[in-house]
Amino acid sequence: MNLYARRRLTSRIALGFSMAAAAFGLFWLVAILWTLFYNGLTALGADIFTLSTPPPGIAGGLLNAIYGSFIMTLLATLIGTPIGIMAGTYLAEYSRGNVLGQTIRFINDILLSAPSIIIGLFIYGVMVVPMGHFSAWAGAVALSVIVIPVVVRTTEDMLNLVPASLREAAAALGAPRWKVIVLIAYRAARSGMITGVLLAVARISGETAPLLFTSLSNQFWSTDMNAPMANLPVVIFRFALSPYQDWQDLAWAGALLITVTILIINITARMLAGLGSKGR
Amino acid sequence: MQKNVRSYVTTGATAGALPGSAVQAGELTEKMSIRNVSFFYGQFEALKSISVPLYDRKVTAFIGPSGCGKSTLLRILNRIYDLYPKQRASGEVLLDGQNILEPGIDLNLLRAKVGMVFQKPTPFPLTIYDNIAFGIRLYERLPRDEMDGRVEQALRRAALWNEVKDKLNQSGLSLSGGQQQRLCIARAIAVNPSVLLMDEPASALDPISTSKIEELIDELKSEYCICIVTHNMQQAARASDFTAFMYMGELIEHGVTEDLFTTPKQKRTEEYITGRFG
Repeated sequence: MNLYARRRLTSRIALGFSMAAAAFGLFWLVAILWTLFYNGLTALGADIFTLSTPPPGIAGGLLNAIYGSFIMTLLATLIGTPIGIMAGTYLAEYSRGNVLGQTIRFINDILLSAPSIIIGLFIYGVMVVPMGHFSAWAGAVALSVIVIPVVVRTTEDMLNLVPASLREAAAALGAPRWKVIVLIAYRAARSGMITGVLLAVARISGETAPLLFTSLSNQFWSTDMNAPMANLPVVIFRFALSPYQDWQDLAWAGALLITVTILIINITARMLAGLGSKGR
Repeated sequence: MQKNVRSYVTTGATAGALPGSAVQAGELTEKMSIRNVSFFYGQFEALKSISVPLYDRKVTAFIGPSGCGKSTLLRILNRIYDLYPKQRASGEVLLDGQNILEPGIDLNLLRAKVGMVFQKPTPFPLTIYDNIAFGIRLYERLPRDEMDGRVEQALRRAALWNEVKDKLNQSGLSLSGGQQQRLCIARAIAVNPSVLLMDEPASALDPISTSKIEELIDELKSEYCICIVTHNMQQAARASDFTAFMYMGELIEHGVTEDLFTTPKQKRTEEYITGRFG
């Protein structure tokens, strides 16, 4: 066997292994999505969006859970985004590698990878126990604690990508520091920062553990933020473990809804990131 | 050597008395005076007691090999170095008689008077219109039609209006490199500064864009005190009235451009302009 034939063979073997590995990974992804769509679509009907979670054996839907998930995700994003952006701005624009900045960055990185059940327990301790009951507020706050580190990190990273020359150019026109940041640096980093927020939303829309200890769930339609509130992940968790076929079907439908939502958010985030890099 | 420069100025109060045709007739007034300025990056002394005058309505070019401190000197004149904590300057820089290195100077006001154009074009990620309007809005609140007029005027003075008048709402980043640089010049002059600093404004541009920038400098000098840093000695010879040669953080020679290039007084200047080092 000459040198080239040997190299070709090695190349084919390597290619074969990497294709097999890729196929193995993709197989499970497709299998999951297939099962999800197969079971979810059969359970999906107009009732899902018009009725609340039923007792076993009675027709029902997920309206209360969809509403709860939506409102708590929205609130968590509204609480977490400004805090995250401001903290990220401090790290990128003001801290200049000082001890405080390094400490915040380190803690933020820990928070970023903290198990979400710990965050749920923490909010349980500081909100649910003192208030004496589970509530949608506690759920939203728990989710916002997950949003903050993601937004801090992406904001800092995106602002660090803005070239110093752009800030100098704005400062050279006599713009005060805050205008340089708000009007120029944010503008240059905008698509990346929005992508970060969207990824945080995608992350929390499927979180179960923090809600289990905070908003719990609610079998009935409720818009009271001071009471337990239904939400898709916890409903899926309970219904999927139940012995009733119709509850299990609803769990599948809920899982499909969450997956499709996350998929849409991720695609939007990718498109935005793509637009951002083209504009530069 | 600095005595020589001083003697030009003090003996001949009018440019007519100066040797060299590059300097046209008219009063020479010192717009900015750099006096014994030293500059430090942390412990490193990048500039060693520089003194040089910058005349109103004249172009002063700073030449010298890379790292000689010419860009550093420029960055003192609008105190842009202040953005970075470990940099500091000592000495005096007078702008219309006021020392701008004093603590308590309003930096934003200073930068409104001393505009700057950078080596790499730095358009903001905004529309062409807003690139110009950004600076104006920092100082004035204008109704839309007045703002339109100011934007047009700035773009016309930067010889860019005809190329962009139909696409003012497009991103400034969509322009070519040469156009972007003229946009930056337009942006700088839109706020009506009295001094214009240019840090190698043409070094990232093709020859045609370069000559457009040089023509522009020639037109703008009727209104501004212009200070340009360049690597390109031909450019310094073509575009400037006065030239300062710097080497290793020191000012070696300063004088009327024609004299400095034809009869340099210092040996190192001669060696540099004849290409023997640098």
